[in-house]
Amino acid sequence: MSADKIPADSISHLSGYEPPDQSDWETGLHPMDSLLRGERLPHIWCQGCGLGTALTTFISALQWLEKNKEWDLEKVAVVSGIGCSGRVAGYIRLDSFHTTHGRAIPFATGLKIANPNLKVVVFSGDGDIAGIGGNHFIHAARRNLDITVICVNNFNYGMTGGQVGSTTPHGARAVTAQYGNFEYPFNLPYLAAAGGASFMARWTVLHARRLEWTLREAMEHRGFSFVEIIAPCSTAYARWNPEGKGLDPEKLRRRGLEVIKHYKEIGKISPETHPKDADVKVDENGVIIEIVEGKFIDDPKPDLQEAIDQMAPIAEKKWKAAKRAIDNRPKVKGRTDKVPRKELQLGGFGGQGIISAGKIIGQAAAIYDKLEACFTQSYGPEARGGAAGSQVVISSDLIHYPNITEPESAIIMSQGAYEKYAPLITEKGILLIDDGLVVLPENHRQDIVTYGIPATKAAEEMGNIRAANTVMLGFWTSIVGAVSKEAMKLSLADSVPPKTVDVNIKAFDYGYDRGTELKKTKAIPIPTPTEKTGTTHSGDKKSSINEP
Amino acid sequence: MKEQKGLLTGDHFMLGDYAAAEGALLAGCRFFAGYPITPATEIAERMSTRMPQIGGVYIQMEDEIASMNAILGGSWSGVKSMTATSGPGFSLMMENLGLGIMLETPCVVINVQRGGPSTGLPTLVGQQDMMQAKWGSHGDYEIIALCPGSPQEFFDLTIRAFNLAEKYRTPVLVMADAEVGHMTEKVVIPDPEEIEIISRPMVRKGDVEPDHFRIYRDMTHCKGGVRVSPMAKAGDGFRFHVTGLTHDERGYPDMSAKGNEWNMERLISKIRDNKDDIIWVEEKDLDDAEVVVVSYGISARTALWPIELARKEGIRVGLLRLITVWPFSEEKIRRLAKSVKAFVVPEINMGQIVREVERCAAGEAAVFGVHRPGGEVLDPAEVLNTIRKAAGHPVQTEDAVIANQEIQE
Ligand code: SF4
Repeated sequence: MSADKIPADSISHLSGYEPPDQSDWETGLHPMDSLLRGERLPHIWCQGCGLGTALTTFISALQWLEKNKEWDLEKVAVVSGIGCSGRVAGYIRLDSFHTTHGRAIPFATGLKIANPNLKVVVFSGDGDIAGIGGNHFIHAARRNLDITVICVNNFNYGMTGGQVGSTTPHGARAVTAQYGNFEYPFNLPYLAAAGGASFMARWTVLHARRLEWTLREAMEHRGFSFVEIIAPCSTAYARWNPEGKGLDPEKLRRRGLEVIKHYKEIGKISPETHPKDADVKVDENGVIIEIVEGKFIDDPKPDLQEAIDQMAPIAEKKWKAAKRAIDNRPKVKGRTDKVPRKELQLGGFGGQGIISAGKIIGQAAAIYDKLEACFTQSYGPEARGGAAGSQVVISSDLIHYPNITEPESAIIMSQGAYEKYAPLITEKGILLIDDGLVVLPENHRQDIVTYGIPATKAAEEMGNIRAANTVMLGFWTSIVGAVSKEAMKLSLADSVPPKTVDVNIKAFDYGYDRGTELKKTKAIPIPTPTEKTGTTHSGDKKSSINEP
Repeated sequence: MKEQKGLLTGDHFMLGDYAAAEGALLAGCRFFAGYPITPATEIAERMSTRMPQIGGVYIQMEDEIASMNAILGGSWSGVKSMTATSGPGFSLMMENLGLGIMLETPCVVINVQRGGPSTGLPTLVGQQDMMQAKWGSHGDYEIIALCPGSPQEFFDLTIRAFNLAEKYRTPVLVMADAEVGHMTEKVVIPDPEEIEIISRPMVRKGDVEPDHFRIYRDMTHCKGGVRVSPMAKAGDGFRFHVTGLTHDERGYPDMSAKGNEWNMERLISKIRDNKDDIIWVEEKDLDDAEVVVVSYGISARTALWPIELARKEGIRVGLLRLITVWPFSEEKIRRLAKSVKAFVVPEINMGQIVREVERCAAGEAAVFGVHRPGGEVLDPAEVLNTIRKAAGHPVQTEDAVIANQEIQE
């Protein structure tokens, strides 16, 4: 099909052509002067380059939108990357950003999200958008970010002298593909479609009028719109490929013209084409033999901003609830007695609440007892394989050294943690174990004081096995005493889910009372392995304690 | 600041990374673009929860290159913007950190340092990106980098970073580390009215005719002040242009040696000439010091313990803690070099800031580094022994044990 025979339905949605305002001619101004930075002209583009047409169609589209759709062009920002096409940002008299190679889209993403009232247009080349910036391109499409991306595709890197690129047809020649491009190119419409673009069209610069109409439509589209403009690079690409080798190869302008003529031959307006079939077809020598043109995707769907807006009320509600909880925190005086540096190690396996138990102690000390507290958790390789470890340092003074050196106490809820941490405890230090889960070996350290409590079993009997760590917290508070009971309870109450506060307080008290009892016996409680296994599971919640 | 809704105040037992996020919100940050990376991910997590509560936007970009660009875009829309990352992501950000510097774009980049190079030690501490912070992007420039040693300071310095970024129209780095980022301590968040918040100088509609507006006004002849050109934001009608190319006052490319000189002059002098305002240090016992520990971040904090012990042993040791690492405290160290015997520089890398100290000491005082690769904070015993060595005292063995006992007393 020749380019002159346009299927009626492909343009039915577009309005007609209007000639520029004649009065401009009388003033001696070019009708596009208001949108061009005259002081920057002449531009750098070669004769016969398609970029001039691409820019003027873009400007015409903007002017049309200003005139017919009351667009405020001061709210339009243009972002370009690097390359010949990237220079557009420098010529257009709008807020414009000439960024780094390939990065126009993420820059535009920030610009647009931070001010949704802006109309943001990315104008760049194929190397920029599909080559180095390809990842940004598909992600912006995926997000359905409300920007328009105009990509001038001239099948090579023009500015650097005509190197092969991600859109160079297979077999075509380039300065770095003297034997023909041995790679395969992107099909940009298909790439955009796969990314999720809600609008996609392609025209060659030959169809300047249709291109302009499409650009208007693309910019009016809410969501990610993508327009591929196929344009001659008269200096570089046309030098190496037969399309451009026309009448007088020495003349760039002519060469450009030859390419345009070629587009006329092989261009096929076919908006019904599936993007999958929109690849630029070449013969065995890499000569382009067909370019389908038209609007391939127009599929309105909620854009990114809509999704962002929907989140706000939910988030605000959550904030109000959180704020209420914080505001309701009781005011406390804190401790006045001096607490020397105390180190605590907690260990168990994932899911036991080893991390949250440490945090609850730290918070109790720092917020409610008004001491200094530093909480850290194990992130290293030792934290893998289901093991969990956390550490708390408490002191009245500033804590210079945040890590554990020789803990005075340890809360241990698994055999693995016992093996790992028991050797670290300082001499005469205190080891607290869930003796339903930890079996003490024959050679258990006699230079530390060990107390056991069937925390998990007790918690289970209270109806919430997850409160086992809380039993240990109560136990630790009464035996070690580095943090006050009141502070611990307050910290506990604002750390556990509201529905479980009661059971957790019950679990805490149980642990606390058991600890107080055990301390009163003044015995050195070292459970032996034989005694332990039988008694702690007896169901009477009796703590294991063995007099020497 | 009119938007106060959604700000947290009061005392909190808070993760360092969270504290940084809260600091940013208080400073007025309303756009965060990032990418998950240990140990900085919690900043993104916090931001993703908090931004929608406060009328801001959090977005996870496709990578750190995109994150860095997105915050530049956000800033040019007039919104205070930030990203946070760690080593590998920091490397990816270097390209467009340069763009931010060149475009003179206020924004904040947090690097919660981990052990490197490459993927290195994702979960464990390092201070190995200190020179990358200074020189990581190509070309010549000055940068501002701050180093916190606790969650509270991470909070405070993130606010400070925004203030400096806005005042000097430049990206500012907060060089934290895995230890500080993953540590939970008390963080006191004051009422917003009690905090100084600086916002960039802006031209507003009507201030100046768009044709006369200069996005990079040459302020060298202006008296006093910080001499930073007022900024415009997209959509205000100034129809300005900015480019990563060497440019003139209008932001138009100026491909000449003279043009480059004009750019460099402005980018560098706006920071060098204002060092007194930008550089913050903490000085401790410097008056009588024979040995000065120069350190930053977590290493300065852990050095306090061996410093205390060394003092007890009778060594006159002081501390110069670099809160602002870049620009470097050259004058201060030059002056100290004339009066002290030696510097001790503990840092979790194989020797980075120690070279700066050596450069400034210029042979007038000895310089001892305490270095170890990433993974752990420095051994206090090793720092103590280095202080002893620097003071000419005998080095002792089994220091860890001794040190530990003494501190327990
Ligand atoms: S090199 Fe090619 S794309 Fe660049 S200006 Fe010249 S003709 Fe146009």
